[in-house]
Amino acid sequence: MTNALLARFIPEARDLLQSSASGLLRLEKNPTDATAINEVFRAVHTLKGSSGLFDAMALTRLVHAAEDLLGEVRSAKRELDSDLVDMLLDSLDQVSAWIDDLERHERLPADADRVCKDVVTRLRAHCTQTEAAASDTGPVAGGAPAADLGWIADLPECDRIAVFGRACRGHPVVAARYRPVASCFYSGEDPFNLVLQVPELGALRVAPPAPWPHIGDLDPYQCNLEFFLLSNGARVEIEHLFRYVSEQVEIEQIQADALIRITGDHHAAPVHEDFADEARALVAAQDWAALRDATAALLRLTNPDLRNAAALRWLAAVLDAPFPNPAWASALIEVIAAGGVPALGAPPSEPLRPVLTTVAAGADPIREADPSNACSDDSLQRRIIAAQRQILAAASDADRVRRHAPAVVQILAGLARVEGDDRRAADVAAAGEVAETDGTTSMLLALVDRWLATDTVVDDLSDEAPSRVQPDSADAARATETGVPTKPDSAREERSAAARMLKVDQAKIDLLMNLIGELVVSKNSLPFLARRAEQVHGSREMAREIKDQYAVIDRLTQEMQGAIMQVRMLPVSEVFDRFPRLVRDLARKLSKKIELVIEGEDTAADKTIIEALGDPLLHIVRNALDHGIEPPADRAQAGKPDHATLLMKAFQEADQVVIEVTDDGRGIDPDKVRAAAIAKGVVSAAEAAQLSDQAATELIFRPGFSTAAQVSDLSGRGVGLDVALTTVEKLGGRVGVTSRRGMGTTVRIGLPLSMAVTRVMVVGVADELYGIPMDVIAETVRVPRRRVKMIKQSPAFVLRNTVVPLLRLSRALGCAERVADDDVDEAVLVCRIGGNPIGLVVDSFREGMDVILKPFEGVLAGMPGFAGTALLGDGHVLLVLDLKELL
Amino acid sequence: MSRKSVLAVEDGITMRLFYRDVLEKAGFVVEEAANGVEGLERALMTRFDLMVVDINMPKMNGYEMVRQVRGNPTLRSIPVLTISTEEKDDDVVKAYEAGANFYLVKPVRPDELTAVVRLLTGSIS
Repeated sequence: MTNALLARFIPEARDLLQSSASGLLRLEKNPTDATAINEVFRAVHTLKGSSGLFDAMALTRLVHAAEDLLGEVRSAKRELDSDLVDMLLDSLDQVSAWIDDLERHERLPADADRVCKDVVTRLRAHCTQTEAAASDTGPVAGGAPAADLGWIADLPECDRIAVFGRACRGHPVVAARYRPVASCFYSGEDPFNLVLQVPELGALRVAPPAPWPHIGDLDPYQCNLEFFLLSNGARVEIEHLFRYVSEQVEIEQIQADALIRITGDHHAAPVHEDFADEARALVAAQDWAALRDATAALLRLTNPDLRNAAALRWLAAVLDAPFPNPAWASALIEVIAAGGVPALGAPPSEPLRPVLTTVAAGADPIREADPSNACSDDSLQRRIIAAQRQILAAASDADRVRRHAPAVVQILAGLARVEGDDRRAADVAAAGEVAETDGTTSMLLALVDRWLATDTVVDDLSDEAPSRVQPDSADAARATETGVPTKPDSAREERSAAARMLKVDQAKIDLLMNLIGELVVSKNSLPFLARRAEQVHGSREMAREIKDQYAVIDRLTQEMQGAIMQVRMLPVSEVFDRFPRLVRDLARKLSKKIELVIEGEDTAADKTIIEALGDPLLHIVRNALDHGIEPPADRAQAGKPDHATLLMKAFQEADQVVIEVTDDGRGIDPDKVRAAAIAKGVVSAAEAAQLSDQAATELIFRPGFSTAAQVSDLSGRGVGLDVALTTVEKLGGRVGVTSRRGMGTTVRIGLPLSMAVTRVMVVGVADELYGIPMDVIAETVRVPRRRVKMIKQSPAFVLRNTVVPLLRLSRALGCAERVADDDVDEAVLVCRIGGNPIGLVVDSFREGMDVILKPFEGVLAGMPGFAGTALLGDGHVLLVLDLKELL
Repeated sequence: MSRKSVLAVEDGITMRLFYRDVLEKAGFVVEEAANGVEGLERALMTRFDLMVVDINMPKMNGYEMVRQVRGNPTLRSIPVLTISTEEKDDDVVKAYEAGANFYLVKPVRPDELTAVVRLLTGSIS
């Protein structure tokens, strides 16, 4: 299939997997939730349908097994317990992993078949129906195969015995005969490769159906091969594999004993009457071990080419089974006793029933259509006509006739016109009119019957043609179509508007975003232009016109920027959705009872922010589950309900998205945190003593910190909350924690709504302008020089009783320093870096502005101290500083 | 001759793309709908020569949609091809009962789909 199709399939599959997983979780909570089971079932069903388009048999098979199981749950044949949910979720995870493989390599990994088999076996074990019962419609029941399987005897005996052995251990046996059409190479088929893909291929014979011509006459582009094979795989699977050549293949699931064909020289067969006597007694006593020994002993004495030897080998194979079949053993013993005569298995009788995998139809005449032409238009047309006949015949009352006949007439008239038989088309239309007015189908039926009977021959209907056929009656069938299409009401319009969504590649949105960024910047040059018009060219009028136009363009670009940013907005549910599963799994592992409550999942934020939120939230939630929430016993002691509640809440606050994770667990004990921090060397004892309880609590975000007495599997590996903190800060957000002992803990993440625009403060240093991101700036102050004190040889000043160290930005940037002028106050930018205030001395403050920040590229990429550049309205480039790195 | 139009009603977006791919290549105008409700709306707004309808869909399944098509005087003359993963006789019979004109089982071969759609719309191949 085309790559475009696969590219469409992958996101769809992920969506479907996600909705089935969340549906399963809802179902686990409330097993009678009919909406949830229907949703899960439909998602899995759709996935199965779509996956059939690709070469991913293992995936389809696995999903099919899951669907069958869900089908049983839906029809209330089976109850859904946590174990079952676990298993289904695991299976979906496997499918999800395969979807990743499909995306990367466009195929499944080499071990997919094996993995699939394991998972399917586990799923099927829960299914009350067997695979054969659920999906095989073939004539398997009743024991003996109905088809001519004489060719089985031509397969090597050792292969047949091997397949037989697996069959005795519960595997199915499928016999298939594949005769590619001679021209198959031209339609891109690769028969041999196809055959090699048969799952669990056990025996294979390739033979020419027609004798090979003389080498000089041989046309190597014509396929003259026929494949005979046995497999222990599932029949549906093999049918699926051959789905594109279904009319060239005969596939039959057979009983194991159909493999027992005794071949060999039947002349000079010794009669082993003594062995037979002993063997019969052993069968009666079911002493299989002794019979096995006796058989092996006789086998060693027998000429392997003889029929008797073959019978003995089969007997050994029958006895090798975990539960030997006494009937088969007895029959073989009689063969040996007789010196090798009748073979087991059904006598060759009817030809193998063709397997119609793709075109199924409701009526017998359709099924009986010649399968070798299944795909030719001619037979297809007959099948379609036959189907229309059935529909007409089934229309029992006048009302049904009126409802069903028009479409039938439409089809039949169309077919007649394609055949160039306008007369028949007219007749059909006329008969259709009769059907409409009288509510009877007899005239139409008669027409169709004649059509089917005569096939391609156009018969003369002049005598029987209805007298009231009008010249223009060919169009009569369309008479009903002239009604004006009804206008959908507004509710419908709304619904369809909601459903008409576009899936757009993110790169396209990013491009739009970049372009609008450029537009914003170039728009900023207009005020400069206006000023120039006035100052240089002396045209005040022109300047005003430019300014007016600027106002319009400014508003439009702002609206446009807002609209594009809206497109990039994703709901927080994108990240929240994976937590129900995670919390459930972790809670089960930890034997804690936890209810997850999610609020405000519709809150939207920029895609970049939403996507980066996953990891920090993961650490925070894990931490809450692992350390915050107590085991049920402890909760009971503390008088709390044994079900703990974990609340994940998102909401918008000013221009921030806030996400809070709150548990009602034991809370954080500041003293324990202090002790642990000292023990781990995060802070010294003296520092710890000085910290307020709140500050002590916040130590949990320091690198290398873990309060858990023992490091658990889940969190507390020392890379937990500090990672969360760094990630959030990188996004321009902040993390805070509040906790009350015995009551619980809340971790709060505040993030900007969008990362596209950065607000910077422009400052002047040594005749240059620099930008400083607003989020690190606490305030700007002017400090008289006399208030600058030297503390430990470093300049500092006191701001509201806090000592703020001072640093000259020009020095940090390595620029020339301005000569100090005692009368002028110092312009100090108070920044907060890593929680500590620092005063940056600059030459001048300029305005704050929104800029589109562009990181350095090429040789400048990764230059320390700079966050990137931004273009100013007058075309100048503003260097934006990264203070954390710079200082 | 003007091109024939087909409405593909199917909840799987991959399958919809498949129908669009195959049928557009064969010269049909293809429109899509994601479920029965949407399918009926599209059908009422535009005149189609054929509807290709999936059975298992959310909101309104294929059976119900076909039933409503046959119950609507402006829509009932439009041929309907139902396509499903189910091969059980019951499902096939149910589709015909509802008013389908033909039934195919997934996975459908591209050439087969094209041939059936051509015949049902009376198009010359």
